[in-house]
Amino acid sequence: MAQILNTISLFFIPAVLSIVIGYGLYRRAPIYDYFIEGVKEGLQSAVEILPFIIAIFVGIAAVVSSGAMEFLQDLAAPLFQAFGVPKELTSLIILRPVSGSGSMGVLEHVLSTYGPDSFVGRCASVMTGSCETVFYVFAVYFGVTSVKRMRHCLPVGLVGYLAGILASVFICRYI
Amino acid sequence: MMNYIWIAMLLLGIAFAGVTGQMAAFSDQILSNAGEAVEFVIGLAGIMGVWSGIMNIARKTGLIDAAARLAAPVMRFLFPGLTDKETVSAILMSFMANVFGAGNSATVFSLQAMTLLDRQNGGRETASNAMCMFLAVNMSMVQLVPITVLAIRSETGSANPESIIIPSILAGLFSMAVSIALCKYYERRDRKKWRRS
Repeated sequence: MAQILNTISLFFIPAVLSIVIGYGLYRRAPIYDYFIEGVKEGLQSAVEILPFIIAIFVGIAAVVSSGAMEFLQDLAAPLFQAFGVPKELTSLIILRPVSGSGSMGVLEHVLSTYGPDSFVGRCASVMTGSCETVFYVFAVYFGVTSVKRMRHCLPVGLVGYLAGILASVFICRYI
Repeated sequence: MMNYIWIAMLLLGIAFAGVTGQMAAFSDQILSNAGEAVEFVIGLAGIMGVWSGIMNIARKTGLIDAAARLAAPVMRFLFPGLTDKETVSAILMSFMANVFGAGNSATVFSLQAMTLLDRQNGGRETASNAMCMFLAVNMSMVQLVPITVLAIRSETGSANPESIIIPSILAGLFSMAVSIALCKYYERRDRKKWRRS
């Protein structure tokens, strides 16, 4: 099963490429010219998102390097424990919405401390595998728009994230 | 919104750096992370260029229209009123890249989708229903094979690193169902509110 899924994932980019180029050939389109034209637009938007990426990277650095993150973790631990979430996972839960690479570091730490096949280790893996970097997505995605009021996006994102965490713990415990 | 979140992050950081005496580390990290952000975008720029190029071919040859037609039923449920084919295909590609774990490519398509959604929203300062739904789905989308997680698991000596794939997909699907339902609920509530006012 894992093997099949892995193979599908590996073929994603080559498959898209072949289909697009194949269809272009069939239509006798000037493929190369279209490509160059698109690349120009892509580079343009890369320049446009840079300020937003810098802003969120700086914000994350401020919270993590000052020790504020650790404080929040201690604060949140009892709350998560009340829902049956092991307290060893608190730092992962708090860091995951903010930083993808940071949470991978924490995952590594959790797995090498408690063992990857222990209950805590499995929970941590499933959580990291099933949840997104919510805040990062907000900052960067809305960064390219003129939106200032995000309406229900934040509650939906957070509730969805918490639902993912609780589901991870539940599934690891009973399945 | 982002304004407050960002200010809160910075002020919280400054306050804690002061209390814990981490001022030097704080200043260092902020500046070095700004540098990392630039490096990240430079890395992203190449990928954005390539994908935008490929998608431009698909758009000009009409392949995108075909793909958008194919996915129409699902898209009509999630994004009622969204008819622009280019936007639909950007959203589709973003979902697919997400599922297949083409990390940075997924970001690129998502940003493209957001730009197009913003254009349809007339550049208003309030997020549209479609934007919220797009984010809700996007944020709860799981990667079919979470490669990095698997790598860390086998590195730390797991007997069966792949055993978490199915549970991750299940947890992700649950989270997605909750997000979509909540998003639909808010949409309905807002529609009522607007009708009354």
